[in-house]
Formats: sequence, C-alpha cells, structure tokens
Amino acid sequence: MSATPQERLEVSISINGRRYKAPVEARKTLADFIREDAHLTGTKLGCEHGVCGSCTVLIDDAPARSCLTLAAQADGHRVRTVESLTEGQELNGLQRAFREQHGLQCGFCTAGFLMTATALLEENPTPTRDDIVETVSGSLCRCTGYQTIIAAIEQAAAEGAADTQKHDEQEGDVL
Amino acid sequence: MKTVEKHQHMDTPEIAARSVGARVLRSEDPRLLSGRGQFIADIELPGQLHVAFVRSPVAHARITHIDLSAVRDAEGVHLAWSGADAAQFCEGLVGEFAVEGCNPTTMPLLATDEVLYVGEPIAVVVAETRYAAEDACELLDWDFEELPAVVNADAAAAGVGVANPQLPDNFGLRGGASFGDVAGAFEQAHQIVEGRFYTCRVSAAPMETRGVIADYEWASKSLRVWSNTQMPHFLRYMLTAYLGFPEQNVEVITPDTGGGFGQKAHVYPEEMLLPLLAREVDRPVKWIEDRRENLMAGAHAHEQYVDIAYALDATGKITAVRTHALGDGGAYHAPPWSMAVEPWCAVVMTPTGLYDAPAAEYTYAAVATNKTPVGAYRGVGYMAGTFARECLADEAARATGMSPFEFRRHNVVPEFPWTNPQGIVYDEGSWRESIDVLESMVDYPAFLQRQAELRAQGRYIGLGLSFFVESSGESTAGSQEHGLGDVYHDTATVRLSPNGTAHVTIGLSAQGQGLATTMAQMAADTLGVRVEDVIVETARSTSHAYGSGTIGSRGAVIAGGAVSRAAGVVREKIRAVAANLLEAAVDDVDLVDGNASVKGAPDTSISIAEVATAIYFDMSSWPEDFDPVLEATQAYDTARAMFSNGAHAMVVELDPETGFVRFEKVFSVEDCGTVINPNIVEGQIRGGVVQGIGASVFEELAYDESGQLLTTTFLDYGIPTMDVSPPFEIHHIETPSKHSASGVKGMGESGLIAAPAAVLNAVNDALTPFGVVLRELPLSPEKIRAAMSGATESAAPQVVAP
Ligand code: FES
Ligand code: FES
Repeated sequence: MSATPQERLEVSISINGRRYKAPVEARKTLADFIREDAHLTGTKLGCEHGVCGSCTVLIDDAPARSCLTLAAQADGHRVRTVESLTEGQELNGLQRAFREQHGLQCGFCTAGFLMTATALLEENPTPTRDDIVETVSGSLCRCTGYQTIIAAIEQAAAEGAADTQKHDEQEGDVL
Repeated sequence: MKTVEKHQHMDTPEIAARSVGARVLRSEDPRLLSGRGQFIADIELPGQLHVAFVRSPVAHARITHIDLSAVRDAEGVHLAWSGADAAQFCEGLVGEFAVEGCNPTTMPLLATDEVLYVGEPIAVVVAETRYAAEDACELLDWDFEELPAVVNADAAAAGVGVANPQLPDNFGLRGGASFGDVAGAFEQAHQIVEGRFYTCRVSAAPMETRGVIADYEWASKSLRVWSNTQMPHFLRYMLTAYLGFPEQNVEVITPDTGGGFGQKAHVYPEEMLLPLLAREVDRPVKWIEDRRENLMAGAHAHEQYVDIAYALDATGKITAVRTHALGDGGAYHAPPWSMAVEPWCAVVMTPTGLYDAPAAEYTYAAVATNKTPVGAYRGVGYMAGTFARECLADEAARATGMSPFEFRRHNVVPEFPWTNPQGIVYDEGSWRESIDVLESMVDYPAFLQRQAELRAQGRYIGLGLSFFVESSGESTAGSQEHGLGDVYHDTATVRLSPNGTAHVTIGLSAQGQGLATTMAQMAADTLGVRVEDVIVETARSTSHAYGSGTIGSRGAVIAGGAVSRAAGVVREKIRAVAANLLEAAVDDVDLVDGNASVKGAPDTSISIAEVATAIYFDMSSWPEDFDPVLEATQAYDTARAMFSNGAHAMVVELDPETGFVRFEKVFSVEDCGTVINPNIVEGQIRGGVVQGIGASVFEELAYDESGQLLTTTFLDYGIPTMDVSPPFEIHHIETPSKHSASGVKGMGESGLIAAPAAVLNAVNDALTPFGVVLRELPLSPEKIRAAMSGATESAAPQVVAP
C-alpha cells in the first residue's frame, strides 16, 4: 500500500452478509471500521496489539485479529462478527453452551472465543479437548479460568451445534 | 475491639429458599453472548470528542519547559491542557488512610513540576477522533531534567533518595500493635520458624480497560459521567467535593463492565479531568484507555515484603506470631485506598488465619517509590498475608516433622465463637472440617506414593496447600472491628407490578459477577415469585439505589441483604391483601412459587399476580387503612464482621529443562455460607485461582533500575492462557452466617487470596529433593531452573533456636 496513513481509501467490506462501503483513512483498523463505521460493537478491543484475541472475527471463514488488520486489507472480503451467530432472535448452540456451562462472566472476551470456536467447529466438528485447547489458547480471559469455556465448546461439539450455515452475500450498500 | 450498635437495617426477613441454591442460568448472558452488551467503548454520544493523554516516559524528573502550542494547532484538536491548566480547577486528589501513622499525598490531575512515575499523565488532548488526539500528543514540546529514581522498597525505607517530595522520608505509613505476651512466647519457644516472603507487583488487568465519558449541559448545569467504575456513588461524591459540580445535577452511569477486580475501585485523575474537559469544550468527551496505559497507569497491586515468624512449643503448637509488612506503594497514595492497604491489611487481617495463636504482634510500613501507585486488586493485603502465613505453615510442618495437613489440624481453632488475639470475633466456620475434606479430596497417601514413584524416574511433582479465612461482606462492623472507621450501607428498591412481576434496583455496579441473576434469586424467594419474573438493574445510574461500592466481597451479602429487606416489605403488603381476599389471618399466609396460600390449607390460595392486580385496580381487595404502594427501598449493613473460609490444594510438576511449572489440578473447598448460585460461586473460585496462578508464576510488572516499566503489552505481561490453566475439583461446605440474609457470606476474593500460597508450597514440595525453599514471586522459569540445578542459595528452611 502506497497511501500515507491519513490518506483516505474507499473500502467495501461484506460484514455478516451486508456490504458496507466507506472512505476510510488508510491506517484505520478493521476493528475500528466494524465498530465505528458498521456500528457493530460486539467485537471488543482488549489490547489492540494482537495478543488478547477479543477482537477476533472471521475473514472469509478464517479467524483474524481485527485490531491488527487494516480495514483496507479487508476490502472485497467477507467478514463475520459475533452479531452473526444468533439464529434469528435465539442463541445458537455454541452460545447456548457458553451460557449453560457458565463460560463467560463479564463477557468482554466472549466474542473472540465464540468466533475462534466457530471457525474451529466449522473446520472440525468433532474436536478433541486438546484440539480445543490448542486452538483457543490464543485468546485471553481474565474472569473464568477457562475450564468452563473448554466445557462449552465440548458441549457445542457434542451437540453438533456448529453454526455451519454461512451467511449469503446480500448486495446492497449500507453506508 | 470496637463493635457497632445494632440498627434496624441490619435485620433481614427469614425466607424459604426456592431458587437460592439452584444453578440458575444468568440473565446477563443472552445480551453478552450476542454482542448486544453495552460497554463504555460502545457508547457514542452525538457530537462526542475524543481524549488522549501524554504520559511521562521517565520515572522521576523535573519538568523544565512545556509548550502546548503545536498540539493546540494540530488538525482536529479542540483543547489541550497541561498540569497548570488542570490545577486551576483542582489541585489534586488527596490520598490517605484513616489509621495512625499515615502521611497523606496529593496526586495532581496532570503532573505540574515533577513527574513521579512512568505513565503519569502530563498533558491531555481533546480532538475530533482518537487518531487525531494521539497524533497531536506526539507534538508536545517539553523538556525535563531527570532525577534519581527510587525503585526499591528497602532502599526507600532506608532513606536512599526521595521518591515524592511530599514524603521526605518516603514513608506513606508506619505503625504497629501487639496483643498478648509475644516477647515471652518467642523467648520460651521450643523453636522459631521464620521467613521473608515477597509478592511481586502485578496488575489486575481486566480485559476491558478503564474508560470515561462526560457530558455537561451548561443550561441545566447537569453533568452525566459514564465510567466503568466499581464505585459510582463515591465517584459522584468526589466530583461534587473536588470539582464543585452541584450534587443534585451529577449522575454517574455504569454500563456493562468487563471485569474490575479492584482496579476500577479507585477514583482516578482521568475521571476528574473528563468532566472538566466536557464543560470547557461544551461537547461530550470520551476516553478509552489503551492496554499500554492500563498496564502503566491503572492501579498496580500486591507488591510487598512480609516478614513472618512463628514461635512454636515442643509439640509444634504456635504460641505467637510476629509479622512485619513493607509495601512498595508507588509514587502516591491511590485514592481512596492508599498505599497503606496492602501492608496494613496483610498484617492486621491475616496473621492468625485459622490457627489458634494466642499472641500476635505486627508492624506495617508503606514507602513511596517512583512507580505507579499501588491500589486495590482482589484480595488486597489478604493475598500477601495469607501467602506468608500459609507458606510459613508448610515450613513449620517440615520443621516439626508433621505433614502439612497434620500441622494445620494440630493448630486449627478448635471451637467457635473464637476471638483472636486482636479481639476479632469469628462466629462460625468449617475451619477444621476443611482440612479433613481437602485431605481426602487429594488422597494424600496416594499422592505421596505417586510423588515417590515419579521422583525415582526423575520427575518432580509437588502438592501445596493454602487455607484461608476471608473477611467478607465489607461492612461498617467489619471496618470497625479491624480498627477503621468506614461506614458502609447500601439500598435496594423492589417494586411489584400489576402482573406480579418484580423490578429491583441495587446500588452496586456489576463487573461480570452475575449480580443481576443472584439478586433476582434473593428477591424471588422473598417475594414468593418465580425467578424469571424478576428483573434486576445493577447500579446503572446513581439516580437509583445507593451503594458503597462493589468491593471487599460485599455484593452478595450487602446487596442481597438490601434486596431481601426491601422485598420483605413488599411481601407483607401482598400477604395482607391475600389474607383479606382469602379470609385468613395474615400470619397464616405463605408466599411460595407464585402463590399466596393458607398454611395447612394448600387449596385455599390465590396467585400473587392476582393479588398484585387487585392492589393496583380493585380497592375492595384492600384491608382497612391499606397503603397501596407496592414499592420499598431499604438499606442493609451487617451487624457483625463475617468470614468465609476454605482452602485450595494444587498439584504441580516442574520441568528441570525449561523451569516451567505445569499445573496439573486444583482442589478447592469453599465455605461461603449459603450458596445463592453454585455456578457463580464456582466461577469466582476458578477465575480467582487462575489469577493467583498468574500472580505466582506468569505475571510481574517489571521495572529496570532507572524506574522504566518493562512490561507494557500483553506480550511482556503474560496473564495465564487456557493451555496452562488447570482443571478443578470444587467442594462446597455451607456454614451459614447468623447475621446475613439467608446466611450468605461473600467469597469473591478467596481464589486469588489463597492460590499463590498453594502454588509456592507445591513448588517447594516438588523442590524438596534439591534442598531449596523459595519465598519470592514470581516463580519464573529462571528461578525454578536455578533451584533445580543447585544454583540457588537459600538451601534450607530458616529454623532457629531461640
Ligand atoms: S484487541 Fe486484538 S488481539 Fe487484543
Ligand atoms: S469473561 Fe471476563 S474476560 Fe472473559
């Protein structure tokens, strides 16, 4: 990218099946684009330096840290955030499992865990406990001590609850 | 010991437990799981501007020149202030602790003449966007002359250098007391076991950093402040007292909060500055702390040295305990707790623990250093004190040839009530039982056998125990019994609506503990309605119920008591009308499972919904002289200090190659009286214990000799991850309190209070073949490797003949 950080670029990103277009500063992060331009605030920022995982979203179905991704890098890509998980107005299986296992307390880290687990379960619907720990250990939680998060993902897997239906692209400009 | 006089607001109604004790799923979860929570960063006010701070890059310096003109000229900037600008409105926040021997400090909102720690704010910028505000911060033109930094507590205590000119001898606090014949006990001791223990500097590091939004309407003089504070009412009071905003026009709003753990239970300069800035620019202003700022300028915690000694008689009984704590307080007292809380709490609250020690003596001191101010973090003082006491108990067990279980059983308080040497009365507990339960949970003989077998193969596992007594439900009585004069009480409001559903507000803000759920359980059982029919608002706004802060494990006890008392008043209203409608005596009417029924005649009943509807719409249902208000606000405070208790045992394995400590399993026993919701109690235990594992092994806010903070990202400051966090086995014992609603006791801090001692004891147990005893945290890989390769000096427990 040859733009200066403050230079504005036109980006067009599909988020949860809707297309958002806006001119943004070249340096604007995808996290800030999602939160400020698309007004989807479920994606959280715990460190803004790529360690805590709370900003994790799926870009073309793969987990990515939206604090380390520039909005411009996501131009033309498909992004999914925590807001996409519910089935209509009901929690999906993974979310229900988090609730039943008490896999969240303050809920600040939760979107990141849910998105990482969603990607895992889409890729591997029957992960072992080791698979879960290996995949999800890149996210930090300060409240739960993690065991109930593992249990929630195990429960979701056992119930075959991966939200495998990926949202279809609906064209239509939102911004 | 000072006790409080009993007042009306200390009595709670007796209620039958229906939902209390059940694993009720949390009402908070659907919104948090679907990304619909509203945290402070998620709030956007029309026209809001963004705030960023310039912070000191050095530990100690005199500011010789500061020029904001380039900052003010930068694109998008509305306002920039240095310390002198802020001082026109407020000279700073006074920090002190209400015990003898405390020297107060005043912390400026922005540094003026000297900067005293890395991260201290020196200028603030208000701009159109956060990006623009941060760009402008880069343009600050300032010069400073570096001064020698005081970075070590022992040096500070010895008077080497001056960290803060307001404390010329560096002491922020110094004092002590003695109870019983301590000197005699130590003279006559069969043996003395002693050691100096160090709990390193850590951060609570909640996943959500701090944040403040302020909006001032000059026409009505009304100020609204959003803060993720644990003490909204106290913040409101401070905004009034320090800044002069008219109290009736100040509202503090607490949105969903991503963990606090004590770090958000302070009043910070940023919280004072934002309202001033909002008034000045006449626009809403918003500041969301970044992680680097949080690690530099959010309260630090736990750093202190505790010297502790037991006098033991020939049978191995503790005859006296002596404790001295020296806290490394950082540059200022952090209001409102001060640098005193760590060492003071450590020696005053914890030295006897569950042991029947007849005499105790303590001294405490806190010194200023050129580091971030130390404040509250889960188990403040309790952690360091429990760490020293429980690790010394293991050393005493080794010195007397007893098992760690035996030594504790030999010394545990035999019966209740028990009064410790300081005069603090413990009404009840399962102290002895917890030792027996934990021993059978870990299957000690089997562990010893496995340990021996593995040792033969060159593998080193260890078992560490830690028992705790946690003062819970921070109250006026608890404060006074420990020699402080703080007054606490909280209110709750309960309203029953025409369909028989309840709306409850409490004065405590919530940070993820599930208070809206547990309080709904308390209200439901008192009112006799289903828990789904109760909605609870935690202190979203100071316009509702009053609260003294979500601190000191007081939520369940204090808010629970207030909810139960307010619901009790409404309950009596329902019973009166139900009795009238059922033609029964009021005393015979019971409210349970949504129905009012006559005792002994279960078929004679009417639903509570029908009774509520009748109260609102049918005057003929009213008994004589009936006041139809179905809403009550009541206060609550406990009549006595109350204490929960329990223990953790930890099994670890040390890797001689890497020096890593692997956590195999945690066994926890918790007695917090009546358990409102086991899911939530267990969640508090697991979360707290893993924080304790972090504070023992993975976390340290490290400074270099010049006072530079070396750990300002989550890469350098490593909190525990999933792959290092152990599974748990948790056992509940319920010894209800006689003084609280439903017998509930607080337990939010015990995990972190007690876990570090279990970790160190487990590591030392594993190190036994190497003849090394460690006493300082963190147990870094280098320290463990050195210990296992024979490179560590401290080779044997310090056991001395008197
Ligand atoms: S906010 Fe992106 S990893 Fe922490
Ligand atoms: S639930 Fe609070 S950080 Fe994970």
